[in-house]
Amino acid sequence: MTVSGGNGGSLPGRILVVDDTPFNRQLLARLLGGLGHEPVEAEDGRQALARLRDPDQPPIDVILLDIVMPEMDGYEVLATLRDDPALRHIPVIVITGVDELDSVVRCLEMGAADYLPKTVDPAILKARIAASLARKRLHDAEREAIDRQGATNEVLAIMSRSAFDLQVVLDAVVRAAVRLCRADYGVAYVLDVGAYRVAASAGGTPELDAWERDHPIRPGRDSVVGRVALIGEPIVVDDVLADVEYLTTPGQKTSGYRTLLGVPIEQDGMVSGVLALTRNEVRPFTEAERALATGFGEQAAIGIANARLLETIERQRGQLARFLSPQVAQLVSSPEGEALLAGHRREITAMFCDLRNFTGFSESAEPEEVLGFLRRYHATVGGLVVEHEGTLEHFAGDGIMVFFNDPALQDDHAARAVRMAIAIRERFVEIGEEWRRRGHVLQVGIGIATGYATMGRIGFEGRYDYGGVGNAIILASRLSGEAAAGEILISQRTHAAVDDQIEAEAAGERQLKGFSRPLPVFRVAEAVGAEAAAGALPAAEAS
Amino acid sequence: MTEQPIDAKTFDRLVDMTGGDMAFVDDLVDTYLDDGRQQVDALLRAQATGDVEAMIRPAHSLKSGSLNVGALRLGELCRSLEETARGAGAVPNAVDRVTEIAAAFASASTALVKARADRTESGGPPGP
Repeated sequence: MTVSGGNGGSLPGRILVVDDTPFNRQLLARLLGGLGHEPVEAEDGRQALARLRDPDQPPIDVILLDIVMPEMDGYEVLATLRDDPALRHIPVIVITGVDELDSVVRCLEMGAADYLPKTVDPAILKARIAASLARKRLHDAEREAIDRQGATNEVLAIMSRSAFDLQVVLDAVVRAAVRLCRADYGVAYVLDVGAYRVAASAGGTPELDAWERDHPIRPGRDSVVGRVALIGEPIVVDDVLADVEYLTTPGQKTSGYRTLLGVPIEQDGMVSGVLALTRNEVRPFTEAERALATGFGEQAAIGIANARLLETIERQRGQLARFLSPQVAQLVSSPEGEALLAGHRREITAMFCDLRNFTGFSESAEPEEVLGFLRRYHATVGGLVVEHEGTLEHFAGDGIMVFFNDPALQDDHAARAVRMAIAIRERFVEIGEEWRRRGHVLQVGIGIATGYATMGRIGFEGRYDYGGVGNAIILASRLSGEAAAGEILISQRTHAAVDDQIEAEAAGERQLKGFSRPLPVFRVAEAVGAEAAAGALPAAEAS
Repeated sequence: MTEQPIDAKTFDRLVDMTGGDMAFVDDLVDTYLDDGRQQVDALLRAQATGDVEAMIRPAHSLKSGSLNVGALRLGELCRSLEETARGAGAVPNAVDRVTEIAAAFASASTALVKARADRTESGGPPGP
């Protein structure tokens, strides 16, 4: 708006005068100009609608509409405006003769805001225009607030949907910032080895984008991004050509931007990025637009923080996966993970393995020796768990608990558990021999049971385990306790499942703690090669 | 009764409205006269061809300008013609009525032009 003054304090508006009589248009335009408004003239309804719908023209605040006109009359204009969602909010003041009161009523019924007599009284014109302008301003402010809220929600929705996809989040933030702050171009720069580099942009030409991408910005007074980086506060430059410190770049010359706004994207008090907006004309950003941009800068910061969090989780998951079964490691981030973690009932095979005589060993050996042994034991068993695709539930001290058939389904879960137990026993022959030479007798006892259990996340906030509750798990633990050194005891149900694949013999009925009656137990036969080696070991008492 | 073609009070009001900017008032009067001539021509043509519908718009258009510059009698003649043409679909004495309007416009024009010449000569106060 370039018009100024003379309207007695109320804000100036852009008023469309629609009248086929040149005398009336000229008079009204003159009066409106005298009141400080910017008059725009149209000779009839068709011309008026063309002007209202022209995207290259600035928006109209109020329409002064004559009724009797050639081409398209006032009624038709009112009806058309009413049916057009983009235009129906513009207040219309009908200009009418004193003898046209019937048509005034009809116009008001059709949505006109007000009317004015044709022999215009400047004081009345002023008051009516001011009232309609206030109405339009209120509507604009409301619509803007809704629009801003909508865009903010949109960005938030994108952030929750693609929380870990930094590119998607930054793209959405920059797009929304450009639109709502009425900028021509917007860029999100992210700090990367000492310079701010383009991470997302919107509204620019391919040439400008390419230039900006090829020219990272370092902290300094010669650019808006550089200044934001220096002080960590929003920076505005109303006109780059009038700013002596601003270094005009080929990028500026290509696009011709003049007004700039930069806001920090902060992480832990550090400027880890900058959101910059430009306008190709000298039109300073308002206080509201600066606040809005700052908000978008904060959203970008959350996006970056989430992305970094994901990197950390990915790294941890990579480390975890070396020990844990990849299935459980992946479960943490899979979409079905949440449902599985919430709890479900399933048939599983549980394997419990612990060391015979470990208590005596840890008392008599040096702490370094104990740790060294545990490291080797864990590494060995951990590798076998991964190899057999088991789910490691418990991995502390000398006890190890592994599930099969959960969370990943395995038809042969019982057989897998038994094969893994045999493999552990075989490996332990070497380890046990090594320690025996140092004077320590160490052997494993293994229990395996099959049955239903409730599986899921167990524990409390900050300290969760993936685990299960059920008789099969307790039974596996008890059988492990029953097992002598180098012995693998399996439950009846496990035995039934692997009977045709693995050699096992009945080991009698045992009365186990927590079970009301004695249960039949089976012992897995020693492999031929391992038998000889295991046979060399002296039997040890269960710890 | 010899009513003045231009009502002085209405004209003064127009001058007031423009904040006493006589150059602009002169512009407005010129606009009124140029447009008025076209509307009178349109009325004469419509009357000649008996096109009642075609009388409505020129009568309406000439009416509003006339009432604003103070040509009150002309404005009233136009209003009456517009109303008749709009309502009846036929205008009795159309020749007489259009001729009367043409004559009233001629005398209003003369009065406006004369008032401007007098004012320019004397450099005196505005108004006819």
